[in-house]
Amino acid sequence: MAGVNLSGIIKRYGAAQVVHGIDLNVAEKEFVVLVGPSGCGKSTTLRMIAGLEEISEGDLEIDGRRMNRVAPKDRDVAMVFQNYALYPHLNVADNMAFGLRIRRMPKDEIATTIAETAEILGLTEYLQRRPADLSGGQRQRVAMGRAIVRHPKVFLFDEPLSNLDAKLRTQMRAEIKRLHNRLGVTSVYVTHDQVEAMTLADRIVVMNDGRIEQVGTPMELFNNPANTFVAGFLGSPPMNQMKAQLTETGARVGGSEINLARPINGHAGRDVIIGIRPEHVTLQPGDQTTALPISLDLVEPLGSEALLHARFAETEVVFKAETHGNIAHLQGVSEVHVPAPLVQIFDAETGRALSLEH
Amino acid sequence: MVDRNTGIGGNPVEEVVIEAGEALRDRAKSYTPDTNWARMVDHFKREWQLYVMLAPTIIWFIVFLYKPMYGLQIAFKDYSIFRGVANSPWVGLEHFQVLFSNEQFIRAVWNTIKISALNLLFGFPAPIILALMFNEILHATYKKTAQTIVYLPHFISSVIIAGIVITAFAPTGGIVNIILGWFGMDSIYFLTRPEWFRPIFVGTGIWQEAGFGSIVFLAAIAGVNPSLYESAVVDGANRWQMMWKITIPSILPTILIMLIIRIGNIMEVSFELVILLYQPATYETADVVNTWIYRQGLQSGQYDLAAAAGLFNALVAFVLVMTANSLSRRFSQTSLW
Ligand SMILES: Nc1ncnc2c1ncn2[C@@H]1O[C@H](COP(=O)(O)OP(=O)(O)OP(=O)(O)O)[C@@H](O)[C@H]1O
Ligand SMILES: [Mg+2]
Repeated sequence: MAGVNLSGIIKRYGAAQVVHGIDLNVAEKEFVVLVGPSGCGKSTTLRMIAGLEEISEGDLEIDGRRMNRVAPKDRDVAMVFQNYALYPHLNVADNMAFGLRIRRMPKDEIATTIAETAEILGLTEYLQRRPADLSGGQRQRVAMGRAIVRHPKVFLFDEPLSNLDAKLRTQMRAEIKRLHNRLGVTSVYVTHDQVEAMTLADRIVVMNDGRIEQVGTPMELFNNPANTFVAGFLGSPPMNQMKAQLTETGARVGGSEINLARPINGHAGRDVIIGIRPEHVTLQPGDQTTALPISLDLVEPLGSEALLHARFAETEVVFKAETHGNIAHLQGVSEVHVPAPLVQIFDAETGRALSLEH
Repeated sequence: MVDRNTGIGGNPVEEVVIEAGEALRDRAKSYTPDTNWARMVDHFKREWQLYVMLAPTIIWFIVFLYKPMYGLQIAFKDYSIFRGVANSPWVGLEHFQVLFSNEQFIRAVWNTIKISALNLLFGFPAPIILALMFNEILHATYKKTAQTIVYLPHFISSVIIAGIVITAFAPTGGIVNIILGWFGMDSIYFLTRPEWFRPIFVGTGIWQEAGFGSIVFLAAIAGVNPSLYESAVVDGANRWQMMWKITIPSILPTILIMLIIRIGNIMEVSFELVILLYQPATYETADVVNTWIYRQGLQSGQYDLAAAAGLFNALVAFVLVMTANSLSRRFSQTSLW
């Protein structure tokens, strides 16, 4: 098992550069998720690690060995594809055995490996079926099985769950996590689903437009997004962002002054964007909270919680509130309370998080 | 319908009356838009454009395939142009008896089978191999040029193809004999030698059609999911393994369908090309059923005998294609119908 090391990785297609220098260290046994909007270069980065795309510039190391010019088969990685890439003419057992046969593993060893893996994945009774006769979830498991039997140094996943329905996705997500805990293989996982990223990752890499925006544990990224992009990308619904101006004591948004509960250190007058997570507001005033007057548009019940769609300071905002089994008390809400320490501040120009330290 | 548990139920006569009443009502209803008839009218009103587009094909089938079937009956009649198809007297299977006691016809049947078998053996794999080879060419311009070159002979008329072949194999000045000359061999007048007819004929057919025939297989190859190859690359397969383990199994259904079609056409050896390349000296190996029909039926005016031979041909083809289809369906779950 081994780590993966990317430094200054650049990808160009002809004149168009689509990945602009990726630096990333994936530690041994770590589960790293690349997440970002469509077209941001996640797949391209993953495929460069696999060796399916040439690296235009930069260095790729797996297990301390430079891999730029090493053929995919010699990188000792296994990849799970979005559409599973199962061979339609082979049954489940033969699909899983494909890579092993190519590597000329002895027959009896192949048989035991496949039996073991099928057991882990709950595929034992389907071994003789063709992919066409399996459900989406079962196909997905076969694709995983094909990667697992290889005992590779690194697993690469390219949106392996995006073809499944929501319920199955949740289920498979948990299975992947369990599998990783059990096998402990270094994994790089691509998705555009931030929930998948949050739940699976040891560390998340948020990408945008061919660049890394931020790397960190899910909670680091959730609590301290480095910029407005990350703030808006993680969390569902995303963080509310509104234009504001710092004052001596807090921030002015529209007609309200929000308590920030931190020293402004001479930044007063500066244009900023403040971010408030939908789940951080409360309906009752608490410690260090500021009341924001909102005009409520719509209440969307989700069960234990409801989404309050509202306008505040000419911005559309969304807040989350507990229902306690009833949404009647939410219909008349005209103000919410924001706890000062949880308000995020970003520079209005660069979008970067501001610490206001000096 | 009527609820038989209430009211009159029980009395058989009354039930008959009720059923008659229902039938009447049903017939009256058949002009309201709930019935098959009305639905069909609605359907035609809505979809008539489709039927207009379909019409030329149907008309073509009727005029050129179904109407001539009427004339097929002369295979069982003593046909004369003056009496016409309908008025010629029936003779039963007499023409078939004549056919099967005719050595030339028997020879033509065997020649057809032998040439077809060679065609199947060498001519059928050729476009598949060609397609697989094209698929391995990575350089786009080179690939396109090569493809165009092998497609070209298909668009050349058989007359010109035959001309080229005759010139190439000519005893003096033909390129083949010139090359043989370099190795000190005597020149051979290939086209008068019965033993050379089949190789030359089958080879010409491959040269003419293999390239064009490869298009179907290239299209099938293009339809293979590219991530199958990527997955195989990561698993460590080389190009040769990918061809055998992915490409060929993936296009196998196409190969089988093409094989079934090919087997259905086994008795249809390219008639013009035989006519253009054979000569009395090579009839021994070159005369096939179709050319025999042409000489007997059309040139010597024995239409009834020729019709019988043609019917026999069609019957054999029918049996072959049915057999191939059901074998393919049984063993590979692929079939034409
Ligand atoms: N063969 C190619 N030639 C030119 N541009 C390409 C090629 N492949 C990908 N790109 C471009 O590279 C960029 C990154 O593509 P990539 O597939 O990595 O995106 P992604 O982050 O995986 O998106 P998605 O979530 O939609 O899968 C895109 O803008 C895409 O248009
Ligand atoms: Mg992608």
